[in-house]
Order: sequence, then structure tokens, then C-alpha cells
Amino acid sequence: MKDFDLKLPENLDAAIGELPAEYTREGAQVLAGGQDIVTVMKDDIEQPAALVSLQRLGLDGIEWDGDGGVTLGATVTVQALADDAGLERAFPALREAAQSIGSPQIRSQATLGGNLNQRPRCPYYRHPSVSCFKKGGSVCLAEFGFNKYAAIFGGGPSYFSHPSDLATVLLMLGATASISGPGGERKVPLAELYVLPEESLETETVLRPDEILTSVTIPAPPAETRSSYLKFKERASYDFALAAVAVSVVLDGSGVVTDARVVLGGVAPKPWEVPAAARALIGKSMGPEAWTAAGAAAVADADPLEHNGYKVHLVKGLVFRALESLA
Amino acid sequence: MSRPTSGPVASDPSWGNRSDLDVLNRDIPRVDGPVKATGEAVYTHDVRLPDMLWARVLVHPVPRAEIESIDVEAASEMPGVVHIEALKEPGDAVRYLGDDAVLAVVAAETPDQAADALGAIVVKARRLAPVVTPEQALKEGAPVVSRRRKADSNVGRANERGDEAVADAALAGAVAVVERTFVVPIQHHVCLETHGHVVQPAPDNEQVTVYASTQSVGGTPRGLARTLGRDASKIRVLTPHMGGGFGSKFGPGLEGALAARVANVTGRPVHLMLTRADEFAIAGNRSGSRQKLKVGADSDGRLVGLKLEADKLGGVSGGSLPGPPYIYTVTDGAAVFSKIRSVHTATDGSRAMRAPGHPQASFAMEAAVDELGYLLGMDLVDIRIRNLESAVHHRQLRRVAEEIGWADHPNRDRPGAAVNGRAVGIGFGVSVWGPGGRSSRCDVTVRPDGSVVSATATQDLGTGARTYVAAIVAEELGLTVDMVEARIGDSDLPPSVTSGGSVTTGSSAPAIKDAAHKAREGLEALLTDVLEAPVGSYVWKDGRVSVRGDASRSLPWIAVCALLREPLLAQGEFRDFLHEGRIHGAQAAKVEVDTLTGRVKVLKMVTCQDQGLPLNRLALRSQINGGMVQALSYGLLEQRVFDEQDGFLLSDNLDLYKIAGSQEIPEMVALIDDEDERPSVCGMAEAPVIPGHSAIAGAIHNACGARLTRMPFTADNVLETLYGKI
Repeated sequence: MKDFDLKLPENLDAAIGELPAEYTREGAQVLAGGQDIVTVMKDDIEQPAALVSLQRLGLDGIEWDGDGGVTLGATVTVQALADDAGLERAFPALREAAQSIGSPQIRSQATLGGNLNQRPRCPYYRHPSVSCFKKGGSVCLAEFGFNKYAAIFGGGPSYFSHPSDLATVLLMLGATASISGPGGERKVPLAELYVLPEESLETETVLRPDEILTSVTIPAPPAETRSSYLKFKERASYDFALAAVAVSVVLDGSGVVTDARVVLGGVAPKPWEVPAAARALIGKSMGPEAWTAAGAAAVADADPLEHNGYKVHLVKGLVFRALESLA
Repeated sequence: MSRPTSGPVASDPSWGNRSDLDVLNRDIPRVDGPVKATGEAVYTHDVRLPDMLWARVLVHPVPRAEIESIDVEAASEMPGVVHIEALKEPGDAVRYLGDDAVLAVVAAETPDQAADALGAIVVKARRLAPVVTPEQALKEGAPVVSRRRKADSNVGRANERGDEAVADAALAGAVAVVERTFVVPIQHHVCLETHGHVVQPAPDNEQVTVYASTQSVGGTPRGLARTLGRDASKIRVLTPHMGGGFGSKFGPGLEGALAARVANVTGRPVHLMLTRADEFAIAGNRSGSRQKLKVGADSDGRLVGLKLEADKLGGVSGGSLPGPPYIYTVTDGAAVFSKIRSVHTATDGSRAMRAPGHPQASFAMEAAVDELGYLLGMDLVDIRIRNLESAVHHRQLRRVAEEIGWADHPNRDRPGAAVNGRAVGIGFGVSVWGPGGRSSRCDVTVRPDGSVVSATATQDLGTGARTYVAAIVAEELGLTVDMVEARIGDSDLPPSVTSGGSVTTGSSAPAIKDAAHKAREGLEALLTDVLEAPVGSYVWKDGRVSVRGDASRSLPWIAVCALLREPLLAQGEFRDFLHEGRIHGAQAAKVEVDTLTGRVKVLKMVTCQDQGLPLNRLALRSQINGGMVQALSYGLLEQRVFDEQDGFLLSDNLDLYKIAGSQEIPEMVALIDDEDERPSVCGMAEAPVIPGHSAIAGAIHNACGARLTRMPFTADNVLETLYGKI
């Protein structure tokens, strides 16, 4: 790992001022909990000359508005999200997602902002000696090589699957990110925060190099919403998702689904909403028939590679199990 | 000064009646538990010497290449760099990802400086086609990567046994026949402590000191003698504590030779421990295999014929796989035919790993037995008992079946089916091992102040060996374990064995017992004048000695020792009759399979294991549990992953090379087979790692009908077996 300067700005403007307008491999980057960027540096993927810490910016608050919505600061730790009783009551799926991340050590250090902005886990991307599209190269070795963990939706020319659990659940919850840069603050719905490889290879989000994600706001859920986040970890003890499902449903008095939202994680280069799966649920009685139909609809457009076709089976099963847990 | 015990020896040592034991055959907390739990224990990794250099090696990232240049100039100018050396010349080949891919060694004042210098070495190489899979190795025109002399292909000579026609005829006459191809991936040892050494050089007339993470503190001086340019007696190897070996640490290896060389050249102490990535690339593994197995049974479930065609996948090494029928018996031995060959790839050679070859053979054989049972509608325990010769296996299988709840399980003679996508199943497996006993020595010293030292040049890999080095002596002398100091992990101590093949206990424990017995008789010789009873007529218990049958003639330990004018040294050696190396085990596993997601959750594992006298029941159960965990991890998760296009080892980290963690661990029951009353001791560490993954695979099949023929049992494998590959 190359030497770097650690910047500890006292306010947001100063922090933004330390960041470069254009991306370079050596340009300064944001440091929150350090659970991803430091490993990226150790694996020689990026070599930022400086890290700009958010530590002193007071971005670690959990603030409720009067209507049941909440704003989560970028440096709230993942463990704090998992432990917060109010969040657990209002957004149980968020709590399930937070609890599923990493290990206790990682959760205690990792942050919301860092989780949303983490880089791909593709073993080719992480290998110090491998060149790939995501590192300025001209190939995606996963396309025809080891692609067991790769995307079955939205791939090409790069086929990584996005690793963020919180992105998946926050998109399902209709959250909006607040992003600050030299021009001030802008609000970006989670559904618009991420970009596909065909749109950009050097980044996974719409954040510019001199912007900082400062908070995420989740609106109050509609009354009687039930939600769940179900993540399949190959190694249960700590792992990224082979696939994950964030799902919410609203039922009427007779158990018929009146509203639904289904977002998949771990299967595409960004959190992958499947409106067809929601449509397959709405108007149906909450039960195995609807869950099976929703699973089938969720994978209808899947385009697997040689070694990740099992994710099609897996997503169907996870959609079923996630909905079953809400019945 | 000490003197050897003199005088007539009254009797041979014995392990005694189990009912009389006060220390052994009980739960003894390991004597080094507190220093390990507090971090006080110094492992080789932890050794810090004044003026010490930190060394690192540079491993080429792909298995095959032709070196054009290795430019170390810029790196050698970097801060803190003291020594840098290219190990290949322009035009040299890198022939495989292993020792042969080590291109350079660097030593610097700090670990970071060494790592930075490594990164500044400029290697130009022409990458050649990787040969990392058996398919690539067997392809027509494949580059020959075999190291055999005059090899013209990557296939070793097939070892053929039996008469194929006889086996075919027997199989043709069988009532039930199973034929499957099983694929077992390469497994890594994943020792918590990576391989490495700290070498402290010395002038020619003094001893060089080497701290080594080794399974052979006694053999390592010889292994380093040539590199260090001195006689082995002028090399002292220390392994005070060790973070695991599992068969991968028998010699100093290339990393030890390089540490020694850099210490020689610089005249400074050198710390060279492999990084985790290096460890995965060059420090050995358990060979994989492909086994095409065909087994037939008669209507009573007796195995009547067997054919095996197998490839051992040991990289540039041969790999290992015992011949069939593994543990089970075929009624007519002539009806067994096997053809086993090695297929070589340009990857690190396999090394010994906890029961080399056995878990691989177990995976195929137990599967075949299961499936024959189902074809014949036989109970899975019954068909095993019918085909196992040893009554020990029979009772052990019944015991684990009882513990796992077999009698109440609905699918005893046919696989079950999932209900709402969930299914529970049970599976079984058996093991054998023959842990040898070999020449070993031990010195027991009793000092006039009552202190006792038990010293032998064995090593504690994490097994608990150190504890019995003290406990055996404590038992013989009627002391508590804390009254005996165990000295091990030092090549200057009386020689003992390399810890491999579960020989440590069977070799060293008899020598310790012999020394303790001699010490006891030496003390009894002093007592003949004081308590007036001949040697052999004393009882040593609770820190006192008394005359057998007359408790009034008695002395406390401290008073006995006060009779000594100088320390009493008793020298023990291996006594064959104190050891017997023939052991058996049986395991059962219970799993839940989610057939919608492919999740396999192991609910419970049970082992029943014999080994003669249990020296330390706590350590024994710990070894059994460790075996079950390692087998579970092997079955559920572990897989070495290469990029087949360019040859990158992708699983050179614990993110992708997945091993079981706390959430994978089921309820575990380690049963010590106390019906084994042999008055002997032996090691047993290999046996409990042999059948666990086989029992899990059997349990998956038993739960839902999916026979997984390849490992690991990850969701992709389960789902593709159930529903087909997309």
C-alpha cells in the first residue's frame, strides 16, 4: 500500500475542497469506516495520495421527522443501524440487512455511506495482478472465466455483482440520498444512484469525485407495510450475498396484496428492482402460488453466464422464502 | 549435575488400571491454555530479535512463464532495503505456481519497507498457456508440466490392481450396481500460522538459532544444515508454540532455506513468514481427485464386485488416494479392480494433509454404499455393518446412530422428499487409521527441591501434546499436572518424532511413561532404607508415597525429593508394548436442506472414536471436534479456484477460499469409545477428519434424494443437482 495523507477536515466544505474534480487513480478519496477503501488500497487497485476523513463532520446522526420518516447520516455505523430499536420497528428489513453484513468487527467500523459506495467484490477486480475494465483495462475475465459470483442481470462489458446489502434494502424502501459537492447539495433517489457498466466503468454511482454522500432519507412506510430482507450467504458466518431479496407488501383485510416492491441484490452491477415480480403479486392472495409466480417473474429476464445459472434457481427460492416470512 | 538412574529396574512400565488413574483418562485443561488465551505465547510469527530484518518473497502471479528480466535496481535503492536477490535469470522458465514461481527475496528494516520493495521489482515475462485444470493437462498437445524424467505427457504411470475381467463378471452378476463419477477439489491446510522461520545467525563455533513453525523440530536442523553451511548439531531449532501444520510443515521448505540464506549473507536475524496469499500459492495442499467408481452388491447387501478408475490431482506432485475398497470389504477380493493414475497440472504440489488421500476415498465409497442400500431397500446402518469386518465399527455405528436419532428417522432405507422445500436427512461414514509408534526419547529430572521437568523434542501443533508430556509424569509420581514442567519444541532436547501420521502420541507417550517409571523406581530405590520396602511396593498418590498395604509408612513428595543429593535424571525410550496403532471411528451427520435455495445446514454431527487409553479426554474430544469441523468445512465450502484463461489463483485469500466459521458449526458430540479397553496409547488425529463430509453428503441425499457427486456442497451444486444446470 502506498503512503497517503490523512485529511481531517472540520466541516463539509473543507472536506469537499480536498477532493479532486476529475477521477484519477491517485486522486484523494473519502474515508468513512475504511472497511472497503483500505482494502482497495492494499490490493493496489487505487492509490489515492490522500484520504479525506468524514470523522469530524458530525454525519453520524439518526434523525426522525414528525411523519415517521428518518434521515440516517453517512457515518452511522452498520452496527448502529442493526441495534436501533426505532429503525427495527419502522423498517425491519433495514435491520435485517444491516445485521447480515460482514462480521461484528466489520459492522462496528463500517458505515452506511461506505457500504453504499463500496467497490465490487469480483475476484478478478480484487486480484492485484489482474487487469480489467474496472481498473482501466480492456477485458472482463469473468465473462468467460470464473463467474460463479457474477451478475445475471445488467452485465456487460463488466459482469460484477454489486455487493451492497443496504443499497438493495434502501432502494426497496424508496430512500433518497443527499449528496454534497462544490455546487451545493442534491437529492438522488436510490433508484437513480447507481449506474451500470455500460454507462460507466470507473465508478458504480452517479457521485462525482468531489462529491460526498452525506445522508440517506427513508420516507415513512405506508400503513400496514410488511417488509423483509433475505440474504443468501454461501458462508453463513460472514459473506457477501450470492443473492438477496428486499421485499415489501401491503395486504388488504382479506389477505390480498394491494402493493408490493421487490428488489434483488447480488445479481447485477447495481441493486436490481424487478417490477414484474411486484406485479405478479398485486391483486393475488398472499400464498405459495403468488410467491412462486413472483419468483418466476423476478428471473424472467435473467441472462446468466456459464457458472452462475444457479442464481436463477436461487432467486426464485429466495423470493418465495422472503414472501413466506411475511405471510 | 545430574546422573542417570542406576540400579536394577524392578518392572516394566504400564499404563495401569483405568480405575486407578488420578490424572490420565480425565479432562485435563491444556497447560498452555492461559498463555495462548492471553496472547503471551510466542509463536514463530511473534519472534522479535534485536536488529532483525523482515524478509518477503515475490511469487509470479501465473503458473507458467518465460522470464525476460527481473530488475531489482530501483527496489534495492528504496529506504530500508538491506538485501534483495533475484532467483531467476533471463531465459529461465517458471514451470508451475509453487516454489518454482518464487522470483525474488527481499529483506528490509521493516515489514512495510520489504513489501514496498517487493512491489518495486520490475519483472518482464512472457506468460505461457496455463495448465491449471486436468482438462487442460489432458488436452492433446498440452504443454508437458510433469516433473517426471522424460515425461511426454501430464499423466503418470497408472497403478493397476486386480483383474478387470473378474471384476466385470462379478458386477454383471450383482443384484444392485451403482456407478458414479466423483469429483473432489483441492483443499488447503489453512494453518492459522503461515509457514516460516526466524533465523538468528551465529559465528561458526556457536549455534545458529532458528525459530520455526514446524512439525519436526528434530528434523529441521538437518534440513537447514547445507544452506547454513554447518553441521546440524550447530543448529538449534525452537518451536515454543505453533499455529497448526496438518501435514504441510515437515521441512524448512524454500521459505526456510531463503531465510537461512539471507541471514547468512547479511549476518543479521531474519524473519520470513509467508503472507496468506503466498501460503495459498506455494505451501501445499490436499490433492483433489476424480473417481469413477462402480460397485455391486448381492441381494443381502454384500459387496461382490468393484471397479475404480481414478485420477489423482496433486499439481506437480503425485497426489494420494488409497486403493479400493476403502475400509469396506468385497466378499471376493479378486473381484476388485482399480486403475489409479496421477494427472499433473502446473500448480503447487500436494503435501501430506491430515489422513492423506483418505477423505477423498471416503467420499466416493460411502456414497456407493448409501446408494446400494437404497437400491436394495436396506437400512443404511445395516448395509454398513454387513460390509465392515471390525466389530468395533459395528458398535461405533450403532452408538452414533443412537446419538443422532436414527431409530426415529423416517428415511432409513430410502431417501426422503422435501415438504414445502425443506428436508432433513441423516448420513454416516467410517474411518480407520494406523498411527505408528517409533523411536522417541524423554528425560525426566527430579530435583531435590521437588521440582520435576519432563523434556522431549516433540512439538505441540495445537493438539495439546505439551499437556500429556507433563500429565504422564504427574500420574506416575502421584503429582498434579502443574507440579511438572513440560519442555518441548527444542531440537536440543532428547529426540522425538516428526508429528505426521498421528505418530506423536504413540511414539512420545511411551518414552515419557518409561522415563517417569524409571524416575519413580529411582526414588523408590532411595526409599528402601527409609520406608523399608523394596522397589515396586509403593503407592504414589496425592503428593505422597506410601508403602502398599501400609499407609502409616508414608512420606510427602517434598520429603522424598529431599533425600536426593543431586537431581535425579531418568532417561526413557519408546517401549513398543505401551503403544498400539490400530484405530476405528464412525460418524453421523444430520442436515437440513432447503431445496428452494440450496442451503445445506448441518444440524448435528456425532463421532465415536477408539484409541486405547485416553490420555486426556478433553484434548481427545477437542481433536475429534476439530476433525469434524475440518471435514464439514471441506464438504460445505472449500475450493481452490484458478482462472482457467490466464492461470491466476483467485482463491489466494480467505474471502474467496471459504472456510467454516462459527455459524456453520452444528451441535457436535464427540464420543470416546470406552469399550476399547486396550492398555495402550496412540494418536488419533487423522481418523476423525476422514468421513465427516461423506456423512454430510449422505445426509443431503437422505434428506431429499439429491446425490452430490462433487464437492463442496454449495448452493450452486445443490440446485444444479436438483434442477439441472442453466
